[in-house]
Amino acid sequence: MAIYIHDKNPASLTLGDQLKALPKTPGICMFIDIVGSTAEKYQNGVEVWGKKLNNTFNFISFLNNFPKHIVKGIGDEIMLYIPDDELTKHESLNSCLALLEEIYATLDNIINFPLPDLFMNCKVAMHYCTEVYNITFLENYNDYYGIDIDMTARLTKKAVTNRIVISETFFKKVVEDLAASGRGYTPEVISKISDKYIEDFKGVPEPVELRVIDV
Amino acid sequence: MNIDVRDSGSVKVVAVDGRLDTTNYNELEAVVNKLINEGVKDVVFDLSALEYISSSGLRVMLLTLKKTGAAGGKLILCNMKEGIREIFEISGFTTIFTIMPDMNDALNQF
Repeated sequence: MAIYIHDKNPASLTLGDQLKALPKTPGICMFIDIVGSTAEKYQNGVEVWGKKLNNTFNFISFLNNFPKHIVKGIGDEIMLYIPDDELTKHESLNSCLALLEEIYATLDNIINFPLPDLFMNCKVAMHYCTEVYNITFLENYNDYYGIDIDMTARLTKKAVTNRIVISETFFKKVVEDLAASGRGYTPEVISKISDKYIEDFKGVPEPVELRVIDV
Repeated sequence: MNIDVRDSGSVKVVAVDGRLDTTNYNELEAVVNKLINEGVKDVVFDLSALEYISSSGLRVMLLTLKKTGAAGGKLILCNMKEGIREIFEISGFTTIFTIMPDMNDALNQF
């Protein structure tokens, strides 16, 4: 659970010391955004968009496999954070490679579902984070703050429908995982990872390296 | 995971044992591709020993459904455990697959 940061004194010296002593929580941050739900709401009644949102949320297996790691939802966008020490506890979804394969399969299943109008498509951003703190400024809430959370949010802006955007940091972890797995084949998702892009992101002093997978 | 393939007339019965997830979905996919390439079009998945299925596993199920359909055949699932049925229900897959309670009922679909 997050450390609650709260000090009524804006000139507090102890707060600064507390913040400097905070432990970091490395892990994987994901933003999953359901595409087109606003248009759906304007075009159709709640009995249609509500059903599609229900179906799509149920379909995204991460939400069922990592319910404790859903940090927040803002409408149709969900943030998950899986700390490293929690990731290794899952029997099969225990590496960056496995997570990438699973979200790829999820998006692909939605695209190829034989019955129409049951689900909405998604876009996803994934980043391996090191500069993250498990803190909250709202009592009894769980949350994560740090430049790597902001980075993941920036990556999301580069995603479009049925696209997974991954940071170069996350990509390198995937490559390490693949080498360590000893698999004698290349998973389909790996063969679809693009070459590296370099982008400037607002507020980020250095250019950001990223890759995309269009499902 | 263990995969066992046996014949029942012209139908291939594929029994999947254990977990079907990101670590091994490719094995089942390879078995299915081999069967399709050999001209098999009617398949039963015996899921009596399947303990867990992830989206990667569901994707193989969906691909098999498409490939048997494209070949003019059928894919029938049977002997599904309650936990697996729940995953199929949550993901809407019970609406697109023919799921029979046991092997006899499954084979009678052909």
